[in-house]
Amino acid sequence: MRGPPARTGPVFRVKALSKTYRSGLLEVHALRCVDFEAAQGEFVVILGPSGSGKSTFLNIVGGLDRASSGEVWFKDHQLTAASEAELTRYRRDHVGFVFQFYNLVPSLTARENVQLVTEIAHNPMPVDDALALVGLSERRDHFPAQLSGGEQQRVAIARAIAKQPEVLLCDEPTGALDSRTGIRVLEALTEVNRAVGATTLVITHNAAIRDIADRVVRFADGRIAEESRNAARKTPAEVSW
Amino acid sequence: MVISPLRRKVLRDLRRLGAQALAIALVLAAGVATLILGNGALDALTETRARYYADSRFADVFADLTRAPIALIDEIELIDGVLQAEGRIVKVGLLDLPAMAEPGSVLFVSLPGEGGLNRLHLRRGRMPDPLSADEVVVSEGFADARGLGPGDRLPVLMNGQRRELRLTGTAFSPEFIYALGPGDIMPDPRRFGIVWMPRHGLESAFDLRGSVSSVVAKLVPGANEAAVIEKIDRLLAPYGGAGAEGREDQVSHAFLDAEIKQLGAMVKVLPPIFLLVAAMLVNMTLMRLVALEREQIGLLKAIGYGSRAIAMHYVEFVLAIALAGIAIGLVAGAWLGAGMAQMYARFFSFPFLVFSRDPQVYGLAAVVTLGAAVAGAVRAARSVVALPPAVAMTPPAPVAYRRNGGWLRRLLGLRQTGLMVARHLWRWPLRTGSSVLGIAMAVAILVASLWSFGSIEHMIHVTFGRSERHDAQIVFGDPLPASAAFDARTLPGVMVVEPFRAVTARLSHRNLSRKLTIIGKPPEPHLSRTVAPDLRPMAMPEAGLILSEALAEALDVRPGDLVEVEVLEGPRPVLVLPVSGLSVGYVGLSVAMDIGALNRIMREGAMISGVNLQLDPALQSDFYAAARETPRTGFVGVRELTVNRFRETLADNITIMVTVYVALAGIIAVGVVYNSARIALSEQGRELASLRVLGFTRSEVAGILYRELAAVVLIAQPLGWLIGYAIAQAMVAAFSSDLYRVSLVIGREVFAVASLAVLAAALVSAALIRGRINRLDMIEVLKTRE
Ligand SMILES: Nc1ncnc2c1ncn2[C@@H]1O[C@H](COP(=O)(O)OP(=O)(O)O)[C@@H](O)[C@H]1O
Ligand SMILES: [Mg+2]
Repeated sequence: MRGPPARTGPVFRVKALSKTYRSGLLEVHALRCVDFEAAQGEFVVILGPSGSGKSTFLNIVGGLDRASSGEVWFKDHQLTAASEAELTRYRRDHVGFVFQFYNLVPSLTARENVQLVTEIAHNPMPVDDALALVGLSERRDHFPAQLSGGEQQRVAIARAIAKQPEVLLCDEPTGALDSRTGIRVLEALTEVNRAVGATTLVITHNAAIRDIADRVVRFADGRIAEESRNAARKTPAEVSW
Repeated sequence: MVISPLRRKVLRDLRRLGAQALAIALVLAAGVATLILGNGALDALTETRARYYADSRFADVFADLTRAPIALIDEIELIDGVLQAEGRIVKVGLLDLPAMAEPGSVLFVSLPGEGGLNRLHLRRGRMPDPLSADEVVVSEGFADARGLGPGDRLPVLMNGQRRELRLTGTAFSPEFIYALGPGDIMPDPRRFGIVWMPRHGLESAFDLRGSVSSVVAKLVPGANEAAVIEKIDRLLAPYGGAGAEGREDQVSHAFLDAEIKQLGAMVKVLPPIFLLVAAMLVNMTLMRLVALEREQIGLLKAIGYGSRAIAMHYVEFVLAIALAGIAIGLVAGAWLGAGMAQMYARFFSFPFLVFSRDPQVYGLAAVVTLGAAVAGAVRAARSVVALPPAVAMTPPAPVAYRRNGGWLRRLLGLRQTGLMVARHLWRWPLRTGSSVLGIAMAVAILVASLWSFGSIEHMIHVTFGRSERHDAQIVFGDPLPASAAFDARTLPGVMVVEPFRAVTARLSHRNLSRKLTIIGKPPEPHLSRTVAPDLRPMAMPEAGLILSEALAEALDVRPGDLVEVEVLEGPRPVLVLPVSGLSVGYVGLSVAMDIGALNRIMREGAMISGVNLQLDPALQSDFYAAARETPRTGFVGVRELTVNRFRETLADNITIMVTVYVALAGIIAVGVVYNSARIALSEQGRELASLRVLGFTRSEVAGILYRELAAVVLIAQPLGWLIGYAIAQAMVAAFSSDLYRVSLVIGREVFAVASLAVLAAALVSAALIRGRINRLDMIEVLKTRE
């Protein structure tokens, strides 16, 4: 087990982040003045009811969406001031994503899906290592349609970590999976977090997951309502689901 | 009025897929337009000609002779099958316009009598007074080109004598719809006109009192033309009859026929291409729409809509597109048709043009187009009917991709994105094939139209560069002793003189025969050469004939075969001669032999019909003036003017045609590429947005889609070249007649230009789709399952 992180400065610094969606006369305040920091290698679990702004937060931090106001810093890059091209660069070089619906390319095999990312990465790990890390070595030549949901999600994780990203952002990675499969996916995530040392943010509905995190952040109504730190992280297998 | 929800969905779909629908509608419109244009022009020409021929009592049989007493006409009228015969005086003369440096010629024709044949259609002024000696009407085209009108004077040389004629009017004649001057290969109204005058004026000018030099006859409907011609020939033989011919050999009629034949070929080739491509586009687009809307279809079925009603809904969507296409096509077709009619009016001298807006043509175009569109919709409609509601509401089975062709991947060094492209194309072979075929058609249309430029240049090169190399040609009114060549040498500016002898004859082989002029040339001609298929000049054989390839084909003979030669002038010898060789030639049929041998056959001594000349360029106009003065000069031809006119006329017509074809090919190319791109984007939008999330740039993501399009476009090129070549070959076969022979010369630049034009159209479509790629919503694809 690794001790409390923060060996260096924070990887993310979020200050007074707000996001307002406007559709016609209707205004939705998805995020209201959120402050947040995450340290190098930290494993943060984000909880909260549906519609509380979790995805919006993760998307902005991941450079997929833009803030309405406030500042987001990744190390010394200010994402809130970055251009479209700089955000693309940021995602490409530093971020690994895992989503609820995997978003694999159906016309590429597991191995090829991972290669898709390593081909454009600076310092990727060998593709087979990434697949081994998520326990999918034997199925690497299967197309997504030939894999189960859990296996597809593990391919997505392999794809996300193969470039050795500095941050790993996961939006409900177990949302579409049954709980046993979910455990395997979460095991893969913690395993990766340990192996690669990527700062990991995981959104989930499953409160039981909190015990495997360094820190748990709870969103409610566009705000961070509660934050708690685990003194000692459990392994997913120790957690009672 | 209550619009049913499904009908409303048709309207929404049309709006949503507006650009795609428009692209398809435009391809359909191109089909409709070409159908209307082609059929309309074809009808217009055929109708106009038929009506004009009937109105003006155009003759069925034509015969030229030296001189026969007018009483012979009565005997001709007694021939079984002849309804009416008319004797005329037809003679070539020279224009003597001082303002005109280059020589021009006129054809004098005696005015048809009251109730006669080939009646004139007066355009301006009045007919000449039958008793006047100098009043004439001239052909409208000539008057127009030279700015002449009633009251103007026309100085001419008639039989070597200067005369000043007075124009009383201008007219059209069915005999000269296509008015080709002597020695010309394209009508040039500036340098050639018809002059009609009362016959007594011509009688005295040409020493033909009480005689005729031409006979025309109208036949009883159903008469045996060949039998009549044979009897006329027998009657005219003692009077220097040069062999009667039916309408199909009459120059103006034959050229019109060739044009009509070409149009007919165009009508058969072009519209089907467009309709086929449109049907493929409809099929592609609708299949995709149905795939996207499976769940809606299942829902509709579940709530009780019949399969038929739902299938009809998609057919209605297609019908709406087809109707738009038809509407655009009808307007464009009518508009282009009017332009085409104007082109004909310029080229052919018709007093009127019946551009029938035949509702049948329009109706046919509409029905055929609707048929093509619906045919394209059938597969999609059937798949709608076949979809069980329960299955429809579950998500579609994942697309099964296959790993294969690993060696090919390694060979191409494909990256994963390239692999995506390859697998995607391979997964829908039918659709990929349709797109490839569609683009190939665009390339093919271009190849099939662009080659004509090169071919014409090739024909000009062979005809005027290799073969007819003289600067000018003097044709004598009647054959002269060979010493006349020395006289020609004394004209100013003449550097080289080469005599020739021209003799009208009928060549026969088995049951095939052709009437034409045998040209006698020196053994080793320098100016007017006969050129072998390998473009090497040929020496004249001692005894045999050199036939142009077209003539050899028409008579079905090969070198070594014997042909029967029946000379139709002078002592009219009949003999058998061997075919010694074949030559190339593109306009008309030709046969050449040694001038000495020809003169021996004619037994009239060493005679020549004219001379070919090489001129000192500095003294050209002096030469023309002097040549005009020479009393024996029948007419003077100038190679440069002939070439220029040829090039000009063809260039005009072909430029118009090629412009139209390029536009049509562009419509196909844009339509196919744009639709393929939209379909690919709709299928892969999710994947592409996911790639953007992973950090692929907009350009990289667009590149994936573009590579797919590029693959389709590139694969289509060679196929397009092949199809284009085949179409060109079919066109050559369709265009070839006794009058023209087209050489199929397709240079590499034709393929290159065709491909570049289609690539440009593809680039335009790619640019049109770029905005949609840039706007791919990354966040949306993360929220939803496919
Ligand atoms: N594109 C959008 N347009 C309008 N409202 C949006 C959009 N995306 C999210 N929202 C709204 O913002 C709020 C936060 O959404 P989200 O971050 O997805 O919540 P969570 O992930 O916590 O379920 C919700 O009320 C949602 O309806
Ligand atoms: Mg969410």
